[in-house]
Amino acid sequence: MLKKILIANRGEIACRIMRTAQRLGIGTVAVHHFADRAAPHVALADEARELHAEVPTAAYLDAEQLIAAAQATGAEGIHPGYGFLSENAGFAAKVEAAGLVFIGPQPGVIELMGDKIRSREFAQAHGVPVAPSIEQEGDLAAFVAGAEAIGFPLLIKAAAGGGGKGMSIVRNAQELAARATIASSEAQRYFADGRIYAERYVERPRHIEVQVLGDGTGTVLHLFERECSIQRRFQKIVEESPAARLAPELREKICSAAVKLASSAKYRNAGTVEFILAPNGEFYFLEMNTRLQVEHPVTEYVTGLDLVEAQLRVAAGETLWLEQADVKLTGHAIECRICAEQPEHDFRPATGTVRKLRIPTGEGVRFDGGIREGQAITAAFDSMLAKLVVHGADRHAATDMIRDALEEFVLLGVDNNSDYLGRIFDHEAFRAGDLHTGFVVEHAAGLAPPPLDATDEAAVLLAAALATEELRRLIDEVPEPHASIGGWRN
Amino acid sequence: MSIELNLDGTPRTVSVAARKPGWRLTVDGTPYTVSEEQGEDCVLLTVGERRYRVWRALEGNRVHLKIGGRTFSLGYEEEVSAAAHAGAAGHEVHADMPGVVVDVHCGPDAIVSAGDALLVIESMKMQITITAPRDGVVAMVHVAKNQPFEKGNLLVSLRDEEA
Repeated sequence: MLKKILIANRGEIACRIMRTAQRLGIGTVAVHHFADRAAPHVALADEARELHAEVPTAAYLDAEQLIAAAQATGAEGIHPGYGFLSENAGFAAKVEAAGLVFIGPQPGVIELMGDKIRSREFAQAHGVPVAPSIEQEGDLAAFVAGAEAIGFPLLIKAAAGGGGKGMSIVRNAQELAARATIASSEAQRYFADGRIYAERYVERPRHIEVQVLGDGTGTVLHLFERECSIQRRFQKIVEESPAARLAPELREKICSAAVKLASSAKYRNAGTVEFILAPNGEFYFLEMNTRLQVEHPVTEYVTGLDLVEAQLRVAAGETLWLEQADVKLTGHAIECRICAEQPEHDFRPATGTVRKLRIPTGEGVRFDGGIREGQAITAAFDSMLAKLVVHGADRHAATDMIRDALEEFVLLGVDNNSDYLGRIFDHEAFRAGDLHTGFVVEHAAGLAPPPLDATDEAAVLLAAALATEELRRLIDEVPEPHASIGGWRN
Repeated sequence: MSIELNLDGTPRTVSVAARKPGWRLTVDGTPYTVSEEQGEDCVLLTVGERRYRVWRALEGNRVHLKIGGRTFSLGYEEEVSAAAHAGAAGHEVHADMPGVVVDVHCGPDAIVSAGDALLVIESMKMQITITAPRDGVVAMVHVAKNQPFEKGNLLVSLRDEEA
């Protein structure tokens, strides 16, 4: 096992990685931009190094500074977390070239899976089903003609991208050219690569992904599936394991396909193979994420395994210590992502300062956060603030638990989606497991805040007014005789 | 004597009718019997027959609170008049978050209808279209393509269409 690692990340995931490292007696080095000097991940680490950059996010993307920080502190390995450099093959190669351990897959595998087109061809070559598609090779006009030939609806996305950036659904030929132009410009902005890609869009698709774990020898286990169909703006906000209503034989087929893909790549690390599942039971490979996922805690709950520990062990060269039959699924876990945003304004990102934070606790309740009271939430970083995860005996129990936990969760000062998430868990379609990636749009009306009745609305106004010194003073200043008869005047 | 609060853009008034034997407070003239006690880590507020757990935080002229399982943020006093003023005029489109201008879809003297795209901005890695809040004529575009801006900055001003 490594003795000391540097965590090239921030926020909740940096904190989460450090907790496992500390439990295993591994030293931890945090890195941070000046703007993050008082952030929780800095306080939690054994030691911290400041990275210098004009723009805060650039600090966490600076391979040279990260490697230098690891060498200066004597860290033996670098854990990239998710986002930032976690799927950057060049970074992984540089880390290895510097004589450090990259806690992730082999650089060549990152590169393969990071390219939507190459990974898709790889999947197809190894018998994993893929959706009909076309990639842009020449000019946009040729691409548009080819895309039209596949038929509508189509999903257009950046060839180099991920995370929902630059994606759109096109339903007819009239809007195709305009949408392709926008997608290409977004692809250029986000990924410095304007090539786009279109594939058959499945109506009412479910997002099912499989957690895998490989040791680099070709041995790969699956840790069952997660369902991440509740999304907004193509980004997941609720994830669960196992999937709601998935026939055992179909689960087996999907999990086997994921193992086949990862095993063919001699995958080393924890990873995720994403699929879309059509209502008729057909499923298509979407992409493989060669890193720890945001939603990994649901898998940890149902399998009892610590995925960061598993990453550290295989990165240190250990061969898999488990057999597939040793991986058991117990109960049901649900996660929701708490984001700084305004669900009632098209999920627009919000900024502000955390004025109050109350974290729910209890048996089977886990809160992975990287925020604290007084912290400024700026537009500099991703809008996800924390994750709330629960583990119950079954899906029904877990839904009740996460609903209760959200009720106990308080985050004031930054607009966020916690009330909205509560309404998702109250929704009968969610309770029934009737999920697809258009859930949020389809049920928009039912997910809007219900109107307050007169008393509840008065309570909101009174509770707010009582927080002000002005009202307290008014109460104190009501003259006694007047006050004593005040209630009787009519 | 009263406190002015702004809930979802609507100005509301809370005042005190009586202090004894219990508080009697009014909301827009309607009286309620109100009491408060300290709970474990929250305030327990009773309004009429109903009891609520309340968490609160003050920030300048805003009160953030969670009550009855829902989160609200209300402006009070000075902020009410400012908001009412802006709402009534509606001549100015301000940034409600920091970001950068990706594209400008309008120019001076352009006639726009409510909902028309004025600008495309990018904030927190998302592209967002800023639309006209009402029908009118673009008086001035205060930002240019690729220009960064802060929360609250004036982006576009509108004037009424000449008759």
